[in-house]
Amino acid sequence: MHYSPVITNADIAAKDENLHLFQYVEDPKQCEVDTFVSRGGYKAWKKVLDGISREDVIETVKKSGLRGRGGAGFPTGLKWSFVPKDSPKPRYLVCNADESEPGTCKDRVIMERDPHAIIEGMAIGSYAIGCHLTFIYIRGEFTHCIEKMEIAVKEAYEKGHLGKNIYGSGYDLDMIVHSGGGAYICGEETALLNSIEGERGQSRMRPPFPAIEGLYACPTIVNNVESLSAVPHIINRGADWYASLGTEKSKGTKLFSLSGHVNRPGNYEVPLGFNLKDMIYDPAYGGGMLGDVPLKGVIPGGASTPMLLPDMIDVALDYESLQEKDSMLGSGAIIVFNENTCIVWVIKKLIHFFRHESCGKCTPCREGTGWLEQMINRIEAGQGQSGDLEKIEEVCGNILGRTICPLGDAAVMPIQSTLRLFHDEWQYHIDHKKCMVKSNFEFK
Amino acid sequence: MSDAVKKDQPNVTVPTVTFTIDGQSVTVPKGSTVLQAAKDVGIHIPTFCWHPQLKSVGACRMCYVEVEKMPKLMVSCMLDAMDGMVVYTDSDQVRQGRKAILEFILLNHPLDCPTCDKGGECDLQNLTFAHGVDDSRFDFKKYRFKDEGMTTTFDDKKIGPEIMLNRNRCILCYKCVRSNKQAFGEYDLGAFERGNITQIDAVPGGEVSNPFSGNLVEICPVGALTNSDWRYKIRVWLTKTIPSVCNFTSSGSNINFYKEDHQNKIFRVTSRTNNSIDNGWIPDITRYGYQIINSPDRLQTPLIKKDGKQVKVSWDEALEHIAKKYNSIKESVGRVCIGGLISPSLDNRSLYSFSKFIRTVCKSNNIDFRGDYRMLPNNPESPFGVLRSQPFSISAIDDSDVIISFGSDMIHEHLNEYLRIRKAYNYTHPKIYSIMPYAVKSADVANIEYVYNPGSDESAVNALCLAAIEENLVDSALANEYLKNVVPSTLKDAAVICGLDENDLKVLARSIVDGKKITFLIGEIVTRSKSRDNISAALLNMNKLFGISSKGQISILARYANSKGAEKLGLLPEPIAPIKEVLKKNFSEYPESDPRNTDNMMAHIRKEEIKGLFVFGSNPMMLYPDKEFIKESLEKLDFLVVCDLFETETTEAADVVLPLAGWAEYDGDYINLEGVNQSAKQAVKPNDEVKPAFEIIRMIAEKLENTNFGNDDIDKEITNCLAVDTTISIPKDFIEVKSQTEETADDNTFPIFIIDDAHHAGYLTEKSPSLNNFTAEAYLMMSEELAAKHNMKNGDSIRVESEVSKIILPVKISESLDSDVLLVPRNFQSSPVTSLFMRKRRVDRVKISKVDE
Repeated sequence: MHYSPVITNADIAAKDENLHLFQYVEDPKQCEVDTFVSRGGYKAWKKVLDGISREDVIETVKKSGLRGRGGAGFPTGLKWSFVPKDSPKPRYLVCNADESEPGTCKDRVIMERDPHAIIEGMAIGSYAIGCHLTFIYIRGEFTHCIEKMEIAVKEAYEKGHLGKNIYGSGYDLDMIVHSGGGAYICGEETALLNSIEGERGQSRMRPPFPAIEGLYACPTIVNNVESLSAVPHIINRGADWYASLGTEKSKGTKLFSLSGHVNRPGNYEVPLGFNLKDMIYDPAYGGGMLGDVPLKGVIPGGASTPMLLPDMIDVALDYESLQEKDSMLGSGAIIVFNENTCIVWVIKKLIHFFRHESCGKCTPCREGTGWLEQMINRIEAGQGQSGDLEKIEEVCGNILGRTICPLGDAAVMPIQSTLRLFHDEWQYHIDHKKCMVKSNFEFK
Repeated sequence: MSDAVKKDQPNVTVPTVTFTIDGQSVTVPKGSTVLQAAKDVGIHIPTFCWHPQLKSVGACRMCYVEVEKMPKLMVSCMLDAMDGMVVYTDSDQVRQGRKAILEFILLNHPLDCPTCDKGGECDLQNLTFAHGVDDSRFDFKKYRFKDEGMTTTFDDKKIGPEIMLNRNRCILCYKCVRSNKQAFGEYDLGAFERGNITQIDAVPGGEVSNPFSGNLVEICPVGALTNSDWRYKIRVWLTKTIPSVCNFTSSGSNINFYKEDHQNKIFRVTSRTNNSIDNGWIPDITRYGYQIINSPDRLQTPLIKKDGKQVKVSWDEALEHIAKKYNSIKESVGRVCIGGLISPSLDNRSLYSFSKFIRTVCKSNNIDFRGDYRMLPNNPESPFGVLRSQPFSISAIDDSDVIISFGSDMIHEHLNEYLRIRKAYNYTHPKIYSIMPYAVKSADVANIEYVYNPGSDESAVNALCLAAIEENLVDSALANEYLKNVVPSTLKDAAVICGLDENDLKVLARSIVDGKKITFLIGEIVTRSKSRDNISAALLNMNKLFGISSKGQISILARYANSKGAEKLGLLPEPIAPIKEVLKKNFSEYPESDPRNTDNMMAHIRKEEIKGLFVFGSNPMMLYPDKEFIKESLEKLDFLVVCDLFETETTEAADVVLPLAGWAEYDGDYINLEGVNQSAKQAVKPNDEVKPAFEIIRMIAEKLENTNFGNDDIDKEITNCLAVDTTISIPKDFIEVKSQTEETADDNTFPIFIIDDAHHAGYLTEKSPSLNNFTAEAYLMMSEELAAKHNMKNGDSIRVESEVSKIILPVKISESLDSDVLLVPRNFQSSPVTSLFMRKRRVDRVKISKVDE
């Protein structure tokens, strides 16, 4: 069995029983169903089918304070409770495993190393909303994850954890592993649903929200891999246990993908509220700046979240604290830049990504990202003109909050934040037709 | 809207919401969007991607409005109006938002308005002017799409027989892709790539050739999609619009002609939205069919046969010739023995004049308008006549919860009604069923598609009734009475004859019983069948057993633009009693002679009891499903007058040929299948020698018997006829229905049915170049399996052989057909497919063999 070579803090998790997601991820046998079961796997699923009502499952998850780990942080239990109780239509639960936010690589670890945890979480979620057909939509490029999940689903069927009349309870559940087609936008839930339906991956306007009219116009819940993986532990150990982790408003643990100019880039499970500075400098986590080059800035929650400056990083990693710093927890992808990084170059890379991934449906994002990329490329190449920055600001303003889905916002927020935080550097590029940073750091 | 619908609409109070737009208080039904509500009170909100018949997607973002207490600009096409909302459609923020959208759209949009066909009617052009976006802040090279083989970036790409695509102009509103999928159920167009290089295109290896493709061009808000019809021909501001109705379908879609005065020429047809009929969608036949009017092949002068050759003559000479022949028959026989056939696509005045002419001048009841149907019943109140006369409303499909089409290949005969069913499928999700002797494309929206054995139509209906009885879904006394009238009388036996699954039939029976509002429409399979009366009787029994007509509508749909008018104006050889009464009053004398329909007339011509025949706009030689029978009959005639737009096989046999005006060349009224009387205005003036039918009839009547048909009298008499309710009441009792099946002697034969090609109707449309771009020749349509069995590919030549004739046709493999049934289109003069058919056959059968090269 081979894994993607990613550092995790499984060693810490093995000793700390509260770190439930990463406890066994360094054990290659964990993805086999028997090992999984011997470590208490599918116990929660059995427990639920043994006689916990749907309402109680939802209530427990609500009480635990679990919030969506895909980026938006919406309370999971509350989301489940939005499925109309009296709808005659079938309901669907879709696990969003289209992990493609630049910098984010946490779900991948769970899919590769602990796939049954996801299946169990999906099963319990399905039961809670009354769904009998559930999908896991995996990013197309993650061929290894798709293989792993397919094997795991097959095993789960063979051992009776999925299929007809599970554990003799009379409950039926089928699970489909669905491969994505290679578009970032399909990680947005409505575009993901279009993609499953065989349509072009383009987001839909809300309302109607998927919980009312989602997949095939039926009530649908879309949850992130990490959120669903936490659910069995909440059922097993109780809402109070989960709620005792983390901070008052941001409960539980969270996976952070640390990347960039640090000594130990990797995936780390920590309770919410963990200090960002410790994440970067603690030898058990980031282990300090690479080559001791001083820090220039941090993107705390995935490419689309506004940057933090070095004097802002003594902050708790939770939803509220980052909001206070005008940024977001997002998907938990922390990207660290040292002083040798050209901010314009970083933004050029980001806008290229967002322009390339804009689905082409709504005008501001489709046309605006293209225009922004052209202007930013020009500045980065030393051909910027006076007035370009103002124009970029205005174009960003015409995109922000004016698009169907958050991709437009995601594309402009890092631009706006760096124009605010690193305005001098942008201006230097235009005035001096060159970069103020001595040497560009190339990502390897 | 027809009366039938008005009656059906329940008087329920719909919940409403009240809110404010631009300071104006508005009350609208709950669930209305802000955009719709604004429209209702006359406030214009600009849009690109919104279309009244499509689900909103909020893509273009042009319809921004500002709403108090909402921080962001909202797109009004997707914003439900809510109580107390305060909306501004023209605030500074809104104007800024819209201007930004226009700036985005124009970034890469070419500035080729002077050479763009959309110029003058372009949404983008208009809104750009309206918002004063006259300068661009975009200082990069505009992006240009260019494919391999294109020499310039402005080369358009042909994506279908009638669609050219210019991707640089496209603003990605996706209306074309959305309507194609949603409204038409077609998947030949899609979007490719992402971001600002997203492009619309035909699916790889395919082309956009569906029968509704012209609508995509019409709804394009810019000049990205154009058609050969209009492209580079004229500027829109040089044309005038003339309201008219479609002459090729029975629903009478409302259209506009675009005509230019100096050239006296029509340049295109667009829809003229009438939501009770067409919802603004028109099939390609309707859009491009007008081109026959402009055809250089039109008959320009009368012709007379001299020494076996037809030569051009003046009207005087032609009328003189008719009078001479007429009088010689009259003298030699001692009475007038003349018959008349007319097209049900002609206007009311022409039809009525013809009836008056035949019955009062020729003093005969030898008259029919159904020159392409065989073995018609004589009794107008036969079961077929009863079902035919039942009212039908297209818009009532919208709120039907059960929709059943029986014996109708809708894509080939009732395109508008198919779109209506699709609309219901998209919005109200009724249960839809298709019952046909072969699988059809239009069943793509059906919950279950029933395919019965060809020729077992009445057994299929009986089996449905027996399924309901077996499931105890109907009143038992009624059931017992019914059972006395049918053979066979068990579900099992009937199911074996028709080949349908008993359980599937039970599902259908249950749906009909549970249905609250039912639409049951019946198509050409029944109308064309020799056993139409027996099938209709079975359907009437079914109607009684289930009570369908009391909770919805059941009707055999009219097929031609004015079939309903022909029935109402007394063109049936024996009109129904109330119409006959009016005719008697109108005419003051009514002929005593036997009523004779098409078949009877031909038989009497063969017996030399009818010696002369007037044919107006009808081509039985090509369309009657027994060519030999018609040919032999017409050859026996002493005298044949044929009036038409073009030379046809029938005009070739004529002694006198008269040039007829098309419907765009004079004012006329037409009654659609709902019974709605609609006007078509004159768009262009015909050549002086070319005249409308009523004018020709008036001239002939005057010449022959010095009778004066004044237009005012005629119009008054028509009004008298149209005032009559022609619905025949449904018989109270069950009718005996026995299964009538034909033994097939030869197992190597396959049943064959005549269809209209999806891009043609009748015999005239092959004069339309655009329609010929879709299909220009006849073919033999077969299923994939049958083609594989005979080792045939698309386009291979195949010999088709019936008992009486054989012809060679190219093969066309159908995606929908799945049984061993063959289909041939009747629309092409070069392939006389009706020669394969025999009039007394219930189901014609042919042998097929591959032609080796």
